[in-house]
Amino acid sequence: MNIEYVPNTCPYCGCGCGMNIISVNGEIEGVEPWKRHPMNEGKLCPKGNFAYQFVSRDDRLKTPLIKENGEFREASWDEALDLIASKLKEYREEDPDLLAFLASARCTNEENYSLQKFARAVIGTQNIDHCARLCHGPSVAGLAQTFGSGAMTNSIIDIEEASCIFIIGSNTAEQHPLIWRRVLRAKSKGAKLIVADPRITPTAKQADIYLPFKPGTDIPLLNAMMNVIIEEGLEDKDFIEKRTKGFEELKEVVKKYKPEDVEELTLTPADKIREAARVYAEADSAAILFAMGITQHITGTDNVISTANLAMLTGNIGKPGAGVNPLRGQNNVQGACDMGALPAFYPGYQKVIDEEATEKMTCAWGCSDLKCTPGLTVVEMMNAAEKGELKAMYIMGENPMVSDPDIQHVKESLESLEFLVVQDIFMTETAELADVVLPAAAWAEKDGTYTSTERRVQYIRKAVEAPGDAREDWDIICDLAKRMGAEGFDFNSPAEIFEEIREVTPQYAGMNPERLSKPEGLHWPCPDESHPGTPILHTEQFATPDGLGIFFPIEHKDPAEVPDEEYPFILTTGRVLFHYHTGSMTRRSETLDRELPTGFVEINDEDASELGIRSGDMVKVRTRRGEIEITARVTPDIMKGVLFIPFHFAECAANMLTSSSELDPAAKMPELKVSAASIEK
Amino acid sequence: MVEVNDMYYAFSENEEIAEKGEYGGAVTSLLKFLLEEGIVDAVLAVKKGSDLYDAVPTLITDPNEVIESAGSLHCGTLNIAKVITRYLNGARDMKIAVTTKPCDAMTIVEVAKRGKIDRNNVIMVGVNCGGTLPPVKTRQMIEEVYEMDPDDVIKEEIAKGKLIIETSDDEKGISVDEVEEMGYGRRTNCRRCEKNIPRMADLALGNWGVIGPLAGKATFVEVTSEKGAEVLEKAINAGVIHVEDPIPKGIEIREKIDQAMVNLATKWQKNDFSEESGAEILMNLDKYMDDLNRCIKCYSCREACPICYCEECSLETRTPEWLEKGKLPPSPVFHLERMMHMVDSCTNCGQCEELCPAEIPLARIWHEINIRVQNTFGYKTGFDTGQEPPLTHK
Repeated sequence: MNIEYVPNTCPYCGCGCGMNIISVNGEIEGVEPWKRHPMNEGKLCPKGNFAYQFVSRDDRLKTPLIKENGEFREASWDEALDLIASKLKEYREEDPDLLAFLASARCTNEENYSLQKFARAVIGTQNIDHCARLCHGPSVAGLAQTFGSGAMTNSIIDIEEASCIFIIGSNTAEQHPLIWRRVLRAKSKGAKLIVADPRITPTAKQADIYLPFKPGTDIPLLNAMMNVIIEEGLEDKDFIEKRTKGFEELKEVVKKYKPEDVEELTLTPADKIREAARVYAEADSAAILFAMGITQHITGTDNVISTANLAMLTGNIGKPGAGVNPLRGQNNVQGACDMGALPAFYPGYQKVIDEEATEKMTCAWGCSDLKCTPGLTVVEMMNAAEKGELKAMYIMGENPMVSDPDIQHVKESLESLEFLVVQDIFMTETAELADVVLPAAAWAEKDGTYTSTERRVQYIRKAVEAPGDAREDWDIICDLAKRMGAEGFDFNSPAEIFEEIREVTPQYAGMNPERLSKPEGLHWPCPDESHPGTPILHTEQFATPDGLGIFFPIEHKDPAEVPDEEYPFILTTGRVLFHYHTGSMTRRSETLDRELPTGFVEINDEDASELGIRSGDMVKVRTRRGEIEITARVTPDIMKGVLFIPFHFAECAANMLTSSSELDPAAKMPELKVSAASIEK
Repeated sequence: MVEVNDMYYAFSENEEIAEKGEYGGAVTSLLKFLLEEGIVDAVLAVKKGSDLYDAVPTLITDPNEVIESAGSLHCGTLNIAKVITRYLNGARDMKIAVTTKPCDAMTIVEVAKRGKIDRNNVIMVGVNCGGTLPPVKTRQMIEEVYEMDPDDVIKEEIAKGKLIIETSDDEKGISVDEVEEMGYGRRTNCRRCEKNIPRMADLALGNWGVIGPLAGKATFVEVTSEKGAEVLEKAINAGVIHVEDPIPKGIEIREKIDQAMVNLATKWQKNDFSEESGAEILMNLDKYMDDLNRCIKCYSCREACPICYCEECSLETRTPEWLEKGKLPPSPVFHLERMMHMVDSCTNCGQCEELCPAEIPLARIWHEINIRVQNTFGYKTGFDTGQEPPLTHK
């Protein structure tokens, strides 16, 4: 009998918790605490505790599948990969931009690096993106403009040092439980907690100051807080003078946003805004935490910039217990972005439009003619597919048929493609539409690195073998590249790929295997092997060209849709503690499925009583995109006029209702958090 | 002839083990002997994972690998009974020897009473424990309080009321009281623990009381069961372990150390437990509601609790759904249900609290209630007195 404890990194949210995977005689049998891990000290949330349950499911994909006459048949790897190689060659010869690739925030750095390199070096297109587009694209764009670097500024452990924590657009208790623990610890040491949210979430329930506000009014709310701070002289004048520029322009704009004037728009009591502004500004160190509530708007980038303005205004950047902290929702969404699985960036955020960077990558990869024009983003790909401007897609570990806005439109788009390859661990809603499905190894079945939300790069380690003929994603991509005659894909292990990543990604250059194998891992930037890593960014200067942080004055814009007579409610979407994204893993974990087997719509109790809706009733929720039937959950914990639906459940999919027609101009984010909707019994 | 209650100084006859193992390597030699002779099929122990602060359970079947588990890991805060129920089928199909600190041994006794571990197949080689230290906080303490590099540390130990940290060229001791006042040191459940010598195991071993020429070179052994007597005698007769009579003064010193630890635990219990009727959670639920309302229903307390062994957990059942699912925070009944199922057997091993992401002081609550239950029913949790767990059995 053999039992192995294999130290690992959790495969779910961006916290990056350590855990041991237990294999008994080669089978995955459980998750046990890894108390030595510096961030979570062995503690886990429900998803983490039961993360082993989906791995050994019988319905894992075990062999390549090729669709013939509308039905899948089993195929050998040789047959499937040769077919894909010949198809991709055809399109490449016609025009490389007829092809597009979706990488995955679930996969390792090494796998994302391989896929973006494949798209660029083998195919010759910049059409590579992944669902960070629909999560923290605006954070990357907004913080890059203001601070010069689009990532969480402080570390998770550091949150405990804050004397005030301002959470907006994040239900931290449910979505990042082990970050929430640091908030609780800070609170027990006397920190004040401010939570702004249209719902009285489990996070909001612990707040010292709760600010209700209408979805889509983040900017007036944040501007009003800044208005109070400047009016009452609470800004950090020294910081503004020495470390920033653009303050006068900001001052002019926020002057117009008195709390009493925005109250009608945000529905937040003005005295609460004033109180929150004072508590935030007067704290020795104040941290902002935010997530999808800020970013998933067509003003997402502007919302993010507003949080940065607020932090700079009060000097809350570059010191412990402060910062602007976008909480990333997937285990490796930070890493997938770092690796350049983005249409406008190479690894390490080197810009595609920068000719020098393009030259550098061309040399490093030994390829020719990379375009200096950014490729298509996720939603643009779907639109292009529908119009016939894209002919083939290669999707690695993503499920846009549940995760993307306006699913009906996504379906039509994917069906318009001539050729679709999906590489995944289960037969997802997206894989059903593919021409070729490739079975991949899951977490626990492979080695590699993940980069957590706090920029901590950590190992995952193989504990068990993948089922059937399933192979690791990097291995499939390298095999395919070689079949297409490409060079530079002769990797024998993720470790070899990581060596190449270090060469081309300055932030990762100092990370050698010996250093990464410690439970602490390393925080990027880590430019050389003697560099200790960087838990807190911007301590001395910002990452902008002149080292100064930049204030951008932001004006409120209405969301893409506002309620009207036909659609009188605002529908907002989100997640719940027990499930993850499109549910392909958590809904296959029996404990989590038992906890919450399907979706629901939250409606305010007064609204419900007017409509005669009671908890447990089946109701119809409708928007201009479509209609779903779903169970009602009546609660006082949501503002009047607002509906909330978690997006995990394909049978009552929130994204049947969301819109993809308008996009954030900078980050191409659709209006996921605000749709005009109606509800009836 | 070895008998129950006998006491010895013991060390390994094998020079290499005597050198590598702590205090003469008696534990290592004994475990190796049990495997070699086929007395057990496997040894369950802990070994060093990523470093000294990372204690990882290991199942050893090759006698030559026993040496890898030598040495004590004070950051080994786990409860090994859970490994036996969850991954080894309660030792029903194999005979194992397991190293146990007192709360491990107590838990194995409790779980065996409940029929989930086959006690006949388990030999418990008990080791003294003055408390365990949480790994991450301990590294922080070494850096900030001891001003030493945690990666340079080769040994930590508690002796004469001091927590001593050793590197290859340095040694520093600070009083346990002092570091614990600063919020470091042992886990809070360990501070309250009065069971330092595992007399509920088959053998109780440790360095307390070894004085004279063998100080530091031998282990004190107390024989605490027939089974313990039998295996020790076999090991002595086979020439694997050498034993000598302990110096009487040493026996006294061992008792004194134990008593000092018990006094300290009593002090912490007074400090942690409320004066009035805090333990009566059912009557005083509101007192705990702020804590319990932080619960995010991660099930970590259940997953880690060695007394929670049910294959079908009542907290998860949907037939009927008597505890509402999918909402936060769960009803306090979530915790009360767990309490009803385990509190009489609760050994204060501290897993529930140590693994709670919402910082709920669970071990403190259950420990306090367990002591009440023990008093009410005249029960002795963790000892095989013939009495069954009083709340969950007749």
